[in-house]
Amino acid sequence: MPDPKTKSKAKTKTQIKKSVKPKLAINPGSSTAYHTGDWRTEEPVYQNKWPPCSQTCPASEDIQAWLALAARQQWQAAWHKLSERNPFPATMGRICYHACESPCNRKHLDTAVNIHAMERYLGDMAIAHGWRHKPACDTLSGDKTKTQRVAVVGAGPAGLSCAFQLLRHGYSVTIFDEQSEPGGTLYSAIPDYRLPKSILAKEIDAIVALGVELRLNTRIGQDISESDLRNQFDAIFLAIGTRQPRQFQGKDNSTHSVMSGIDFLQALMLAESRHEKMTLPKKVAVVGGGNTAIDVARCVRRLGSEVTVICAQDPHGNHHHDLATEMPASVLEVIEAEAEGVHLLYRAGVRRLVRSGEHLSGVEIAHVDQVHDRHGNFNPKYFDGTEEFVPAGLIIFAIGQEANWDGLENLFQASESDGVWLGGDAVSKSKVAAAAVGSGYQAAMSIVASLKGEQAVFDHLKAVTKKSNKITYRQMQLSYYPTRSRHEGEMISRRLDGFKEVVQGLTDDDAFSEAQRCLSCGVCFECDNCWHFCPDAAVIKKTGGYDIDYDYCKGCGICANECPCGHIDMVAVKE
Amino acid sequence: MDSRDPFRHNVLTSGHRACSGCGEAMAARMVSDLIGPDAIYINATGCLQVFSTHNQQSSWQAPWIHSVFANAAAVASGVEAALRARGKDTPVIVQAGDGGTFDIGLQCLSGMIERGHDILFVCYDNEAYMNTGVQRSSSTPHAVRTSTSPPGRLSQGKTQLKKDVISIMAAHHMPYAATATVAFFPDLKAKVEKAMTIKGPRFLQVLSPCPLGWVHDSALSVSVSRLAVETGLFPLVELEHGELTGVMRLAEQKPVEEYLRPQGRFKHLFGSKEGTVELHHLQALADARIRRYDLLGADTQWTTATAMQSQRHGRGGYAVSDSLHERPGSQGAQEVKADA
Repeated sequence: MPDPKTKSKAKTKTQIKKSVKPKLAINPGSSTAYHTGDWRTEEPVYQNKWPPCSQTCPASEDIQAWLALAARQQWQAAWHKLSERNPFPATMGRICYHACESPCNRKHLDTAVNIHAMERYLGDMAIAHGWRHKPACDTLSGDKTKTQRVAVVGAGPAGLSCAFQLLRHGYSVTIFDEQSEPGGTLYSAIPDYRLPKSILAKEIDAIVALGVELRLNTRIGQDISESDLRNQFDAIFLAIGTRQPRQFQGKDNSTHSVMSGIDFLQALMLAESRHEKMTLPKKVAVVGGGNTAIDVARCVRRLGSEVTVICAQDPHGNHHHDLATEMPASVLEVIEAEAEGVHLLYRAGVRRLVRSGEHLSGVEIAHVDQVHDRHGNFNPKYFDGTEEFVPAGLIIFAIGQEANWDGLENLFQASESDGVWLGGDAVSKSKVAAAAVGSGYQAAMSIVASLKGEQAVFDHLKAVTKKSNKITYRQMQLSYYPTRSRHEGEMISRRLDGFKEVVQGLTDDDAFSEAQRCLSCGVCFECDNCWHFCPDAAVIKKTGGYDIDYDYCKGCGICANECPCGHIDMVAVKE
Repeated sequence: MDSRDPFRHNVLTSGHRACSGCGEAMAARMVSDLIGPDAIYINATGCLQVFSTHNQQSSWQAPWIHSVFANAAAVASGVEAALRARGKDTPVIVQAGDGGTFDIGLQCLSGMIERGHDILFVCYDNEAYMNTGVQRSSSTPHAVRTSTSPPGRLSQGKTQLKKDVISIMAAHHMPYAATATVAFFPDLKAKVEKAMTIKGPRFLQVLSPCPLGWVHDSALSVSVSRLAVETGLFPLVELEHGELTGVMRLAEQKPVEEYLRPQGRFKHLFGSKEGTVELHHLQALADARIRRYDLLGADTQWTTATAMQSQRHGRGGYAVSDSLHERPGSQGAQEVKADA
């Protein structure tokens, strides 16, 4: 073999310092004197990546991290990690439509990890043990208690999430809400069979316990003026939500036997809290294709009436060309509604309400051809001659809600540089609770950076929250994982008897087992594969991880190829 | 002495001159780390000897001796007899390639077994003479292209079959003979550890992919050796006193094509009529081995699926004694050339 002494040395990546001997020692000795590292053209780099679940989560939870802690049975640590971004695990575990689960890489092996059930399990455990939130201990918080005050308008998920983050960073926060109970839409519009009120109340209590001032029954513009708010607080976060029901645009001026979905759910909640039974006509029609419509229909079934949902969109799974024509409700909700005897009519719109005098006898529906016009506005086109009559003694419109900015016009116009932030359903396109929680988090971080006046901190935060390097199953070696079946919470039988919670939580054994199903996509779980398979002993195991000794790595790529979770990237060697 | 890694000895340490992605270097490091540095390693000529002791620089952090191709087992017999005479029970390990086992070293090996020496003979089987330029050996499988079995008008690579050396070993009625490969570390570990508890001659054949001679991407060494097992072409078996005592069951039988495709040494089989016949032949060979060892039905400790599963914090590593790190001096391992 020719003398390789003359090879140039490009030892930029030396992780482990050693006395570098001449390239080719003439004296007998250890081969470690000869650095094979400069043979390589590619080199492995350990690289944490964002798993698709975190990438998709509207609240940007680090799902892999808290599942890994749960898999080690460090339940409290897992809950802290989870609630860092989302202080409502028990709530979201129940009601969130778990967008995280559909891209789960595990579905290419067997079935997706039951993330929402795990979230709920941790949330319920925290409630049962009375765990308390910890203050943030990152560089942003500092040691001093802050004197600045922040007002949060709206005690819904966005407002509470924002307040929670600010409290953890040591700011004093006052929350205003016009309702008599905190929780916003979570409190008023989610039926008990999906989210028991006591669960929500306990999670809100845990946030309030951090020392927030809660001013309920207070509407900005009526009970306190906008200017007072501006003067008393250094920053204002507006998360007023959408509480104004959208009205039916038909030629029907009577309000008799017509309700909005939100009002119905609120009235129902009031009646339930007084242990009264709401009486409904025998047949009820619900208009709308969203989750509120499905919630309303399922509640109506529980009150003993027949219900027909009139939905302008397509059913799930029929959108071969256009996602926008699929009904917006969650597919699981629809399946459960159908199982409970809810009758759904698709591609149908209400043309008029059929009345005999004031008395409502039903609605006339027609086939809807086009749901949205070319500007994207809801503007259905009906086909003549397709009319049908749906008998109903009550019609409930759940066709969306809008934000009510009355009395807040000036604040609405203000910008972040004026110290006013907007968030939640009122301004975001996605109207799911997790997105509201996420928007509260974003606003809080922006407020913290702004109050501290540190642009650098803000930029750093933006860089951290920016999600890149998504990992797909193609970069992983799924055959290294054992198959394990997914655990589900049990469904109660006789669900139409009242408003008992339908889906039960996971048992302890199931939760432990489910947490272990996480593939840890893109994040090392120390399986030792790279260490075992390195032909050059260039992977060095240390307590909690590995180092690559670039002095000897020849860049064969075996470690990257055999890494189950795709944690290792091969990158070209820079000259 | 190199002690960079607190979790294993690196008996075969870094700086050796094996090709990038060498399956033999991987296998030898695994086996020697499982045995540990307190053993005497005898090496026949071959890739392993050449790349690990290049230019007076040794990668061995254990007593190591090189003999010639033919007589590694004979040298080891002498070492073992000498140790026995002095009342020592230091383990003696022979390492050889397929050339030093199947062809040139076979008679010495046979003698060593017949005489009942307490020696573990490990054959790193990369299925040709890779060190000298990929010449066919009796271990080279059927229809493989090597520099001395080029495919062409008259043949589709090697016309003969791979020598069934494990059956030859078992026919010696020896205490333990097994096959293993790098892809299933828990299996390899169990076999080495079992072999080290048995007295008498033991034989281990470790399939070691060679990116150069097999003509596959250097990153695929582990995958290729795994596919060799999963297709049934390289059954993982254990034979004690001539009787089959254990096999690795296949979780599912993969078609041989999956194994052959990534390897350039089988490239000539794809796209010609004659090649297709040989593909069928290789599939039939795999099927025959599966039937012979009952690889699909046997009641086994683990299967190809369970043996490779990853776990948080690994599935066991190497026993590390403190003696390595306490040894005085930082000089490299002493290299003794028997034929110098």
